[in-house]
Amino acid sequence: MIEFSHVSKVYRNVKALDDVSFTVEAGSITGFVGPNGAGKSTALRILVGLARPTTGTATVLGRPYTELGCPGLQVGTLLDAGAQHPGRTGREVLTLGAMMLGLPKSRVDEILDLVGLSGGESRRAVGGYSLGMRQRLGVGHALLGRPRVLVLDEPANGLDPQGIQWMRGLLRDLADLGSTVLLSTHLLHEVEQVADHIVMIGRGRVLARGTVGELGRGRSLEQTFLELTADADRSAA
Amino acid sequence: MTDTHLPVTDITTTDLRRTPFHRLLCVEARKLVDTRCGSIVASILLVLVLASIVSRGVVFGPDLHTLVGTAGIGYGTLLPVLGILSVTGEWVHRTALTTYALEPHRWRVPAARCLLSLIVAVAASLFALLVAVPVTGVVANVRNVPATWEITPFMLAGWTGTNVLLVVAGLALGMLLLNAPAAIVIWLSAPVLWSVVKRLGAGGEVAAEWLDLNSTTSPLAAGDMTGGDAARLAVSTIFWIVVPLTVGALRVIRKDVN
Ligand SMILES: Nc1ncnc2c1ncn2[C@@H]1O[C@H](COP(=O)(O)OP(=O)(O)OP(=O)(O)O)[C@@H](O)[C@H]1O
Ligand SMILES: [Mg+2]
Repeated sequence: MIEFSHVSKVYRNVKALDDVSFTVEAGSITGFVGPNGAGKSTALRILVGLARPTTGTATVLGRPYTELGCPGLQVGTLLDAGAQHPGRTGREVLTLGAMMLGLPKSRVDEILDLVGLSGGESRRAVGGYSLGMRQRLGVGHALLGRPRVLVLDEPANGLDPQGIQWMRGLLRDLADLGSTVLLSTHLLHEVEQVADHIVMIGRGRVLARGTVGELGRGRSLEQTFLELTADADRSAA
Repeated sequence: MTDTHLPVTDITTTDLRRTPFHRLLCVEARKLVDTRCGSIVASILLVLVLASIVSRGVVFGPDLHTLVGTAGIGYGTLLPVLGILSVTGEWVHRTALTTYALEPHRWRVPAARCLLSLIVAVAASLFALLVAVPVTGVVANVRNVPATWEITPFMLAGWTGTNVLLVVAGLALGMLLLNAPAAIVIWLSAPVLWSVVKRLGAGGEVAAEWLDLNSTTSPLAAGDMTGGDAARLAVSTIFWIVVPLTVGALRVIRKDVN
């Protein structure tokens, strides 16, 4: 469904990704975890064609994202909830997305309803939104075209406990309906509860991957994570 | 969860069809005016055009050609600013992430914006004519003087062409610099800068003669181009439009979007 094959990305002197390979199966939620600067966002941007890999290939639904035609109908993306024009209303952001995908205006109301933004909130400029509201808007934007694949960069960032629980339920429901979800996060306790599979990266390399149970090995995911990233740091030093 | 959020089933060939170009065009048109800033600039422009045509009519008398031309002052300054704001805003606010995730064939976005600039400039020119005709009639009636309706289609086309060139040049400058303050300052101060350059001796005079888009387009706007005028217009168009548009578009196409 999603496949990274030997993807490397070099920025001037920083190796952001180093021979990254992994696949994400259909109908599952995969958590992409790693410390700050590990290369998560870089990998997701490469997947959706916003950055070019130095070497290697990334495909989604069996082909490069850029060949998907109208990709918003296949793959929903949220790369940065903060990347919005502050002078545009939430409703307008969704309206533009719906227009671009050729969807009826009614889809905007459906999505507002789904992500829990009220009519009043949706008519306010995004500049005045809290981070949590922006995340809801961003997730809603990703879901506009009923995509079968979702790519979300830190969607739970800035959400309150209720928001996180809501997000967890939403993603679970979508996966149960057959969607494939790849989401990056720092929130290990959260990802443990929602994800089926985990891919851990550190300093641009895949450190471990497997089901939540396999990686936890009876301990918390956090312990495994801290051990592995410490190892990666030592070997890099 | 209702089935309205169900993902659709297997990938089909219809799924692989590209976003139709007219949709991109509509989206870009909407983005021009759907932010606070964009809607303010657009309304100022509208008011300015109405007010300037009416007041010019009152002061100058019922001459259609003069009244239509009055709108050009606003079109040459504020329409390009609207274009600059829309392209630079994408990178400042990082909405380019969404734009190019939804349209990975990136060249189509600048192409839509160029076509849109052309459509907007033509529509604005027609709007000026639409306002100037009744103003000319009313002023002639009220003052009880004969109105001058003389305006050849050739003049009108030349003037419209000038508006198109100026708006596309603004867009090109915005795409080249990707920085709104710099692009707007350069655009608005260009006439002053050229008048300074002109006084820098013979070289400066030649440079201004061939490169100042405002003066090279004036024969076009007036509808009396000579061969030399056409050459100067071509050179300044390459300098202000073809080169920055090409460089700007290539950069946007190759750039990693962050
Ligand atoms: N455009 C860029 N130019 C130069 N270096 C970059 C660029 N983008 C990312 N990097 C570098 O690549 C590395 C990986 O960054 P990336 O943003 O992918 O990490 P991340 O895992 O998403 O981190 P975080 O958890 O903080 O979001 C970092 O060292 C970063 O400095
Ligand atoms: Mg990141």
